[in-house]
Order: sequence, then C-alpha cells, then structure tokens
Amino acid sequence: MATEKTRNPQTRLRGERFADKITTRLWQEIPSPGNPYIARSSRCHGYQLSELIEKRSYADVVFLLFKGELPTAKQSRLLESLMIGLINPGPRHPATRSAISAAVSKTHPEHLLPIALSVLSGAHLGAAEVSQAMRFISKNMGVPPGDAAKRLLRTEEKAGQGDWHIAPGFGSRFGGEDLLTADLAEALCRHADEEGPLLWARAFVECLPPCSMGWLPTGLAAAVFCDLGFSHRSGPGLFQLISAPGLLAHGLEFANKPITSVPFIDNDHYVMNMKRRPRSG
Amino acid sequence: MDNVEFWDSNRKIIRSQAGGARIGEGTAYSRGYSVLEELVGEISYFQMLVLNVTGNLVSRRLGEWIEATFLCMSWPDSRIWCNQVGAFGGTTKASPVSSVTAGILASDSKLYGPGTVRGATHFITSALRRVNEGQTLEEVIYSHSRKPGAQPTIPGYARPIAYGDERIEAMEKVRKKLRLDCGPHLELAFKVQEFLLDKHGESMNLAGYIMAFLSDQGMTAEQIYRIYALCVNNGIHACYAEAYDNPPESFLPLRCEDIEYTGHAPRPVPDK
Repeated sequence: MATEKTRNPQTRLRGERFADKITTRLWQEIPSPGNPYIARSSRCHGYQLSELIEKRSYADVVFLLFKGELPTAKQSRLLESLMIGLINPGPRHPATRSAISAAVSKTHPEHLLPIALSVLSGAHLGAAEVSQAMRFISKNMGVPPGDAAKRLLRTEEKAGQGDWHIAPGFGSRFGGEDLLTADLAEALCRHADEEGPLLWARAFVECLPPCSMGWLPTGLAAAVFCDLGFSHRSGPGLFQLISAPGLLAHGLEFANKPITSVPFIDNDHYVMNMKRRPRSG
Repeated sequence: MDNVEFWDSNRKIIRSQAGGARIGEGTAYSRGYSVLEELVGEISYFQMLVLNVTGNLVSRRLGEWIEATFLCMSWPDSRIWCNQVGAFGGTTKASPVSSVTAGILASDSKLYGPGTVRGATHFITSALRRVNEGQTLEEVIYSHSRKPGAQPTIPGYARPIAYGDERIEAMEKVRKKLRLDCGPHLELAFKVQEFLLDKHGESMNLAGYIMAFLSDQGMTAEQIYRIYALCVNNGIHACYAEAYDNPPESFLPLRCEDIEYTGHAPRPVPDK
C-alpha cells in the first residue's frame, strides 16, 4: 500500500493507437529490384539527390531539407553567409575547448564532435539560447524595437557577476560588445528581407547601450533563421550544425599531440575552498 | 577599455568548493571529506553522488532509497525510447560509452526521464506553498488546465502508454522498510493523485513521487535534476549489449517500403 489513505491505481495500457510505420515528407528511398533493403535512388522533397549534387550548393540543400523548397538566390546567399560566418565558435569557446580537452586526452576521434556539440547545447551562447532568441524575436516583432529595448532596460535586472543577456541572444560578451558578431550582422543584413526579423533585430541592437551590449552569435543565428522562416525547433540544431566544422577542426588539431601540449592547472592554482557540512537525511 | 576584472580574477586559476585532488600527492577531497580515508568503503556510491551534487552527506538509508529509484528506471526493454537509442548504437557497433551517453541524452525529455524533474518539482513545491497559503487543492490542480474544468496537465502525473505506475507501490515498500518518513510534499502528492483518480482517472508517476519525497528531504529541483541525470543508464546498457552482440543492423531493420513517403512528387531541379 502507498499510504493508509491512498489507493494503488491499477496499471493498465492506455490503448493508444500507434502508427503502423514511419512516415516522412522529406526523403524518399526507392528500393532496388533485387533487395528491398537496398535503396536504388533517393529524392529530397521530390528532387533527385544526384541532380541536386550537380546543380545546387550545400546551403541550398540544407535549406531544402528543413523547409521543403529550394531557397531563392537571396535566401541562399543569406544562409551560406551565416554558415561561413559562424563556422567556428573560436578556440576560446567552452565547446571548442571541450573538443580540445577530449582530443588531447586521446578520446576516440569519432567522439569529438558529439562532445563539443553537447557543450554547445546550452542556454548561454549555445543552441538552447538560439531557440529562446527566436521566440523572443517572433514575440516582439510587432513592437517597435526601441520600445522593446526600453522596456527590457527598464524591467530586467542584471543577476550576479558575469555577462548580461538582456534578451536571449543579445547583450554583453566579457563585459563589452561582441565586435566580430556585430560586423558579421552588418554583412548579413545586406541580404535580409525588408521589414523582416533580421532588420528588426538590428534596429533592436541599435537601441541597446552602445559599446557594452549588442549582437551575440546566438541572437544573430536566431534572427537569420527567423528571416528564412525556420521553426523554433530547428534553430538549435541548425546552429550546432553550422558551428560543427570549427569545433571538430580544433579538436582534431590536438588529436595527435601529447597531453602536455595544452596547459594543465598546477596544484598551486587549484584552490579548494570546502566547507564540510554535518551529515543529514 | 571594458571592465574585465571579473574574468581576469578567474583566469588561469580554479577555485572549487566541491573538492579535487592534490595531484601527485595521493590525496583527494569531496566537500571537505578525504575520499580515500573517510568515504571509500564507508559510504555508498549514491551517498557520494548526493554529496558531490549537493554538498550534503546524507544517510545510507536515503542513499539506498535513491538507488532503488534508479533500479525502477532500469528496465532492459529496447522498446523504451532511450533504450532503443542505445540498441541502435549497439547494432551499428558504436562504443558502449557513446551509445549509453546517447540514450541518456534521449531521456532528457519533456515526456519522461530526468527532463521531467524540474517541472514535477516546481509543481509539488508550489502546490504545497499555495495550499499552505489557503488555496484549495482543487484550485491548485485546475490552475493547470487549459480551459476551466478541463483535465489538467500536471508534471509528475500521468505516464506515456500506461495508466498507473506500479513502481510507486514498490518504492513505498522500500521507504517504509528503510524507515523514511512521508513528509508534507509526499502527503500532498498522494492527495493530488486521489483527486485526479476520482475526477480524471489519472495517477501519479514515478517522477512525481520521487520529486515529492526528495523535496521533503530539502533538495531543490536543480539538485534532483543533477542527481538523476544518469537515472536510465542501466536499462540502456542491457539493450546496447544485446544489440551489439547480435549481427550488425539486425536490430529492427527496415525495408525501403517500411517508410511511407508522403512528400512532394518527383520534380526536376531548377537551374540556379
């Protein structure tokens, strides 16, 4: 018995009806005549893969996979520019450093990318923040960017030490403005939809305190994804996908190097400040 | 020049309240305890897990109770989603670490597993606060309905595929055997279950039960989430091992025709 006052409900099936098979709108595999497990050809949203290889760029096919249609020339340029701009979070990003730490300690090379991408999943400069930023932009698009910025500056409070993201994807980096991302945003805005999310986000950034806050890579990715019409759910994974080459390349750079090729904090700089609490529970 | 004093103060130095090793000196500490002299051989793995996460050295009985909850989530059934991920790793000869890790990541879900911890803990702690402030149980429960009077969606209640959760009865036996008290959160959790059973035929799930009990032990949602991060690993191990030991791609193989294509008809790729 659970407690004297409660029942133990009987376990039984809900009787939900599950699908007989997996369905997909995005990929078709045509079986070979001799073996039903072997695909003879495949199509992406109706386009023969072999024909896409001949006629389209990688960015175009990424767009097609997620959106179901090929991009316009402007959309293609915007996505490709973002993919180049964010191809590497840089050697100081914790996700990159996790790939380096794993590689130099001789982790199997096939683990490097999953390790780094797991770390790049977070709500601070990671994939989770991209999703939050996409929601922020979509929710506030109807509001003049200056009003949205003023409201946040009035109502939001900085919590503790460290950086302040006044909205997901926007704020300070190491106490200042992320200049590289600001430059990249300017370049990307040239391919943006007029009155679309990317230009709204640029106007929002212009209303933030100059020099101390601005675009973050997650906010820029989110604004571009909104501009291109990607869903909130695709944002985090696309951000990880776009960042993957740099993460992997940095890891591989150390995969064959000795463990001494990166710094190791010595005992004098590992300070234990422990408080021993009485036993509990 | 921006003010970077805060980051400079953390540059090239680690300050830890959790503990660490004096590398090369043969000593290691966890939350002020010497790992080798005071903990190894003296406390259980689960006591150590709670100690590392929370800083509190809990009783062996509470460690045993937590371990029993992990056993309740260790079913070696490869139909369960996270276990199936582990089995797919096995059937493609991925490493055990990679496959079990992938399965654990899959369990960080809104539907089941550790991904439900925050929501279930926030529900029961806020429900107790609201009841203590004078709201009726009915008001608290129906504040989780989308429409007035509609069946509420409450984290920690209801479960995929099945009604009821037989693991709660098993865990209640463990709790009583270990002489661990039923506190106000768990009392309320059972009252919520009684209400939902009467009105909607739904009951508490294991996550709701665990969160209520551990809230009574003074643990926060974040602490419980961290402790239970790996809670499904045991069943994944089994499903991975079985799939790995069988011929590659023999775990649930699909013919092309087993996937139903519902997308665009064949079309030519337009020139750019």
